[in-house]
Amino acid sequence: MAKLTAQEPPLAAAVSSSQSRRLPPWVTTGALLLPTYGWLTIAVFIPLLAMFAFSFLTATPLGNKPIVFTLKQYRAFIDQPYLVGVGLSSLLIGFWTTFVCAVLGFFAALALARATIGKTKETLLVLILLPFWTNGLVRIFSWTMVLREGGFLDYILHLVAPQAGSIGFLYTRPAIVVGLVHGYLPYMILTCYIALSTIDDAIIEAAVSLGARWWVVLYKILLPMAAPGLISGAVLTFVPVIGSFMEPRILGGRVGVTMGTVIEDQFTQAFNWPLGASLSFTLLAVVLAIFATFSGVLKRGSVA
Amino acid sequence: MKTLGRFYLFAILAFLYTPIIVMMAMGFNESPLYQLPFSFSTRWYVALMGNTGLLTAGLNSIIIAVITAVVATSLGTVASVALSRHTFRGRSLLQLLLLPPIAIPWLITGTAMLIFFYWSGIGRGMHALIIGHVALAIPYVVIVVGTGFKTIRADLEEAAMSLGSTPVHAFYSVTLPLLFPSILGAALFAFAVSLDQFVISYFLATPGYTTLPVQIYSAIRKGFTPEINAISTILLLGSMAAILIFARFAKPGENRDPR
Amino acid sequence: MTHVNVKSVAKSYGSTPVLSDISTEFGEGSFTSLLGPSGSGKTTLLRIIAGFIRPDQGVVMIGDQDVTHVPVWGRNIGMMFQSYALFPHMTIAQNVAFGLERRGIRGEAARKEVERALEMVRLPGFAERFPKQLSGGQQQRVALARAIVIKPNVLLLDEPLSALDRRLRQEMQVELLRIQRQSGLTTIFVTHDQEEALTLSDKVAILDKGKIVQIGDPATVYERPRTRFAAEFLGDSNFLPGVVEAGGVRLEDGGIIEVAGSLPSAGTKVTLAVRPEKMSPAGEGKNRISAQIKTVIYAGPVLSYHLETSQGRELKLFSQNRDGNLMREGENVTLSWMPEHTVALVE
Repeated sequence: MAKLTAQEPPLAAAVSSSQSRRLPPWVTTGALLLPTYGWLTIAVFIPLLAMFAFSFLTATPLGNKPIVFTLKQYRAFIDQPYLVGVGLSSLLIGFWTTFVCAVLGFFAALALARATIGKTKETLLVLILLPFWTNGLVRIFSWTMVLREGGFLDYILHLVAPQAGSIGFLYTRPAIVVGLVHGYLPYMILTCYIALSTIDDAIIEAAVSLGARWWVVLYKILLPMAAPGLISGAVLTFVPVIGSFMEPRILGGRVGVTMGTVIEDQFTQAFNWPLGASLSFTLLAVVLAIFATFSGVLKRGSVA
Repeated sequence: MKTLGRFYLFAILAFLYTPIIVMMAMGFNESPLYQLPFSFSTRWYVALMGNTGLLTAGLNSIIIAVITAVVATSLGTVASVALSRHTFRGRSLLQLLLLPPIAIPWLITGTAMLIFFYWSGIGRGMHALIIGHVALAIPYVVIVVGTGFKTIRADLEEAAMSLGSTPVHAFYSVTLPLLFPSILGAALFAFAVSLDQFVISYFLATPGYTTLPVQIYSAIRKGFTPEINAISTILLLGSMAAILIFARFAKPGENRDPR
Repeated sequence: MTHVNVKSVAKSYGSTPVLSDISTEFGEGSFTSLLGPSGSGKTTLLRIIAGFIRPDQGVVMIGDQDVTHVPVWGRNIGMMFQSYALFPHMTIAQNVAFGLERRGIRGEAARKEVERALEMVRLPGFAERFPKQLSGGQQQRVALARAIVIKPNVLLLDEPLSALDRRLRQEMQVELLRIQRQSGLTTIFVTHDQEEALTLSDKVAILDKGKIVQIGDPATVYERPRTRFAAEFLGDSNFLPGVVEAGGVRLEDGGIIEVAGSLPSAGTKVTLAVRPEKMSPAGEGKNRISAQIKTVIYAGPVLSYHLETSQGRELKLFSQNRDGNLMREGENVTLSWMPEHTVALVE
């Protein structure tokens, strides 16, 4: 075969002219990032700052009311002691929800990782995660159907014991926890599952060969190795829960008073935006503190 | 032990799906007061057709979700290119800044938006809702597209350049086609996120312009009939369908190099 | 088919120099290997010639054109990557035609060129398949077809065979050589595998820590290494320290060793390098040394021995397994070799 001859470089001519027009790299990078971060600045970061500013006002600046700055909104917990009770009950709801999710979720993830294989595992995982991405409001609403007096729970009960009274526990604290657990359990299962699925089978085999029984394996190997997943799942459950207002209202009724509902009230009923802002910011501070404490674990165990 | 595990998983699934199934079933129950025993009827779906409040809210939700999907996917994909392929100082910080919209409780973000939009004159309503929804969806888009980027080897673009492609042409002819499933998936994700969004919508809606979740919420608070179940069932099935399609698209491994 | 020149090319990342003052020529139609350990700068040099990296100093010439400031897409190069880098969403034909399309060759003309290139790499009929349907070796051949179909000025290969298993690798080496001879492309080949470098190249350039330590045809570089690194990196070597005297080099044990070629002035400390296969226990050469056998390794066609001199120096001996007879551990032998096989290295 004849020797191939070289061909004219296709764009060399065009290239040498574009040499002078070469933009410094930060311009292209900046142009790509600007729309997104600009949008986020206007939609999220500036509003948060505005809320911070608002929290120092005495009253919602409507019309021509004068703007007076004060720190009194941040003294709300002292001025209105009932808020302390509300805060505590929010934390309690958060704790219980997270705890139940962690226990139920860890074992579900364990079962998924170790008791199922292949196609079954995949299908089950999808089925478990599916509710998580549907409308939270609708799911909470579904629980009212089940928990209310005369609802599904009572219906099942009366099938077996027609004379019994009602066991519907809608409009109680436990109802709120049940609804919240239902909402966040899939996510907890996911984070635990990811952490557990990275555990090499060989490690467990090695432990068993050294004489460990199943509870030792669970306690000394599985739990510690899945800890990052558990902790990040717990943090990302606890944080949204302490700020929730929709679930407490719907499932808790009169009993459902949390920081979330109080804050929401300031904006929709009481029209005391500065108080709402200060409470909101206090909540934000708690959230950021939690994130800061667990930032190391979150980086390792996060689902992203 | 394994059967115990499988039984337990079944119980968990029962826990997750029972309320949903009950809610859906009650949408087909004759009684307006949710009284059992069950007697099948489609009257509530018929009644839904005449419920302009719910239908308008539903239409608004869909329109906003579509707009959100388009805008958030465009902005997020473009940003993802820079975050995945360019190296620059402050990149980790910028990646961190994507987290607030999804990590901070929406109550806080929502009320903050309400305050700022009111004070700056942006106000509430459709445009405010779009601004809010897009802001929430962008981080998800960046994460999904960013993950897609990771499966595309950098030397594919280099190979294209060695054959005569300018960097831009290499991106269009090699990277973008391979990224397409991720982009589509991200769009579906953004659509679902917007459709299901309640908290932010709650604070940015007006009496005149509202979304479906907000409308459902008012109905729940004020008193409702099973038409709510009907529309909720439709909404639920819609989200599930969108997510299932996303799960099929975003299956990794399709475009990965064999090694 | 052009010659390539690099003059005084240097590159640093931060304060770490990766390449220092590299100047060499790659002749028209030649096959040169850049050989060295990881971190030696060989890949950096290749990528500077390709255009992915801009050197801090120096000039890159392809043919008579100074391409130092021309970006990679304007240089008309053909490149092969370690990971093949075939476009997974395109058919084989589309992959191979990619560069043609960039040069304005489309349609029927392109199809003919693609067919010819695929035949050249012995993959006719594969045009409509997708990369993931092909084995590793087949993919690499497609990558080669894609690189040569555009008739580049120079063919650059970045460890393209490292991912293949041994048998496949050897087959591909033969293919590569055949195609390079047929096409006459100036080829620059980066590898860390010395056997590969010796088998394929017209010239071997050994790099260490950013500098070209030695460059020459395989036989010269192997038989007459210029530095200790070159002697050690390419093949095995025995090292014997000594001092130059009139007529030879005096070793530690007192023996005088003759060296072919000129020696530095008397009194200079040198290290003598002798390849293990050049030594023999059967006393023919002029140079001698005594040692005791410490380990015997039966490796099939080659018998290797590890020995130790009375001075405690370690030596290696490779012996062809002609009659299956092994020497034994603990035996004392006198090894001899010829002056022509002795290289004096000044450190």
